[in-house]
Amino acid sequence: MDHLTSETFDANARAALNDAQLRGALKNATSLFGKRRLAAAHSVSNWEDLRSEARRIKDETLLHLDKYLEQFTVNAEEAGAQIHWARDAAEANAIVKEIAQHKQARLVVKSKSMTTEEIHLNSALEAVGVEALETDLGEYIIQLAGETPSHIIAPAIHKTRFQIADLFVEKLGIEPTDDVVMLTATARRVLRQKFAAADIGISGVNFGVAEAGTILILENEGNIRLTTSLPKVHIAVMGIEKVIPRFADLEVFLKLLPRSGTGQHLTSYQSLITGTKRAADGEGPDELHIILLDNGRSKMLAHPTTRQSLACIRCGACLNACPVYQQIGGHAYGSVYPGPIGAVITPQLIGLKKASQLPYASSLCGACREVCPVKIDIPELLLHLRAEITEGSEVRDERSEPVKRKTGERLAFKMWAAVMTRPRLYEFSARVGHLLQGFIKRGNRIGKVGGLIGRLAPPLAAWTGTRDLRPIEAKSFRQQWRSAERS
Amino acid sequence: MTNTSREARDAILQSIQANLAASEGIVHTDHTIVPYRGELLRAGASLSRTEKFRERLESVGGYCYIVKSEDEAARALSAIIGELQSKDAAKRIALSDAPLVSSLARGIAAEEIDVCPLPADLFNYDVGMTMAQAAIAETGTLVLAAERERHRLVSLLPPVHIAIVYSRDIVDTIGDALTQLRGDATGMSRAITFITGPSRTADIELTLTVGVHGPKELHVIVIEAASEAS
Repeated sequence: MDHLTSETFDANARAALNDAQLRGALKNATSLFGKRRLAAAHSVSNWEDLRSEARRIKDETLLHLDKYLEQFTVNAEEAGAQIHWARDAAEANAIVKEIAQHKQARLVVKSKSMTTEEIHLNSALEAVGVEALETDLGEYIIQLAGETPSHIIAPAIHKTRFQIADLFVEKLGIEPTDDVVMLTATARRVLRQKFAAADIGISGVNFGVAEAGTILILENEGNIRLTTSLPKVHIAVMGIEKVIPRFADLEVFLKLLPRSGTGQHLTSYQSLITGTKRAADGEGPDELHIILLDNGRSKMLAHPTTRQSLACIRCGACLNACPVYQQIGGHAYGSVYPGPIGAVITPQLIGLKKASQLPYASSLCGACREVCPVKIDIPELLLHLRAEITEGSEVRDERSEPVKRKTGERLAFKMWAAVMTRPRLYEFSARVGHLLQGFIKRGNRIGKVGGLIGRLAPPLAAWTGTRDLRPIEAKSFRQQWRSAERS
Repeated sequence: MTNTSREARDAILQSIQANLAASEGIVHTDHTIVPYRGELLRAGASLSRTEKFRERLESVGGYCYIVKSEDEAARALSAIIGELQSKDAAKRIALSDAPLVSSLARGIAAEEIDVCPLPADLFNYDVGMTMAQAAIAETGTLVLAAERERHRLVSLLPPVHIAIVYSRDIVDTIGDALTQLRGDATGMSRAITFITGPSRTADIELTLTVGVHGPKELHVIVIEAASEAS
């Protein structure tokens, strides 16, 4: 199956909008996660303080990232871990391949890691004859189907249990069933054989503690515990921004991350791993390799606005809150990182040219900023990237060429800005607009849905192609306000 | 570290320094932030630590038994095993190497009871029994420190996990647990696992399903005893 790319975001989004099943699944998932997040945030008295504090810790770390990475390295090595550094995806994959070949590995079990998906580790391993098997249930399903994740937290949210049942019948030869418990039990049975046979376990990292050299990984299923304790070799791939200074800082993140992601007070399991076992006959792997990956991250440090991107803890809350993501889902972004955070991270990782449509995949409503547990100002970042695209300035990314927006569009936005910043002109325009819209009304029923404008003349038809427009009211808000005050 | 990796390290650290140096508006603040942790808002704040622990554990689908002595713990254990055996789900029982686990298991009649079976065999056991070195009241969490007990796999592979913890080892918050782990005089354990309820997933149509990769049942026996034996 051909996977979608960021370059064709507009077309991807249009296709997704016509997928009724996808939109139903997205509505269920995003509203459920959203409600749970809110309830979980209300279970602590100091949610806002926790958010501010998490951001302070991240900011502090990022301003001294070199120092904390070196401290992390020293402490992890002292505990027996082997640290590797990778400037980009190719270097990271080469390190994993080298370890795999040195160990003569045939089978690698993997737990969910966005970073390994970012570097396309699985295909790199397969190219050298090593099977890389995803073990998170959702990831396992989409790997069997040859697809990509559609949500950070629930990767297979776009598939129904009937589709999953068909997939299991076809690939695993089970008897037909649409019972979720049976399907889950099947995955458990099949994957346990793989865990028992695997030569290497590969995981991601949620937090790396500088003062202790500890890595922390959170999960609900138990596949991370299996991945990090059964095979003889454990490889953890860690973005350089995952480091935090102190062990005690983990508390703040352990309170924020599960609540923001799934609405749990704590996920079922946290594995805190510090190097390798002290006793040779102890449980757990003999070797721990930690790969520190840059892949475009250090460049984000160069500006206070872009630097925020590195504070992200990958909870997925902004996806669920985003009115754009809610409609189109994760695949349309054509990137491992979808939703609002994906729209800002992807262009910085792969270059503005390849992802020039993503910063526009937002109405700037600010819902993402409201829910972000580390208070990343995503709208500010989107505007920053839009400005870079429009100005054609490519200060930080020499890999791609600037993308120019059309002159007509620039003019339109200038006029828009002029009207929006002058209240009287705005009110006058609204009155004129109200009169003019009479020409496109058809009787009292307008638009695809009653009361909404469904189609405008070109060039504005581009807007109404996938949207309905609310007509301009006869009385402006200010007029209504004034009459309400009088009565 | 290979030459490439060393070269990569130097390049990454240089890139970090150069990009930070190029950034405007950096205000260096005091590095030693002592953060405000705050209190958890919850009904039943007046509950004892043990009761809070039970309330949280049960809220995530775990079973909790509070007993007054090791003898009572052995009886609670027999009852759990008996219940499982009535469903034919406790033929083979795996034990960690903790002495208390073995002594409590002495009263159980099962087809097979073994201490720390080989990992390959452990896949075929029905029940795993371990201690927990600590527990966290505010989340209903068990803390397993792998160097204090051989329980990393016994607590993970069998579909039922039964854990024993002393009430004196229950702390209030995650922060308290982290402080205690970090302050361990004999050095922090190299592998620490926090366990809160059974293994769970909602990856298929958001339907909650337990026991996907880890245990589907978690039973915790809390011993409220003055006894120091453990």
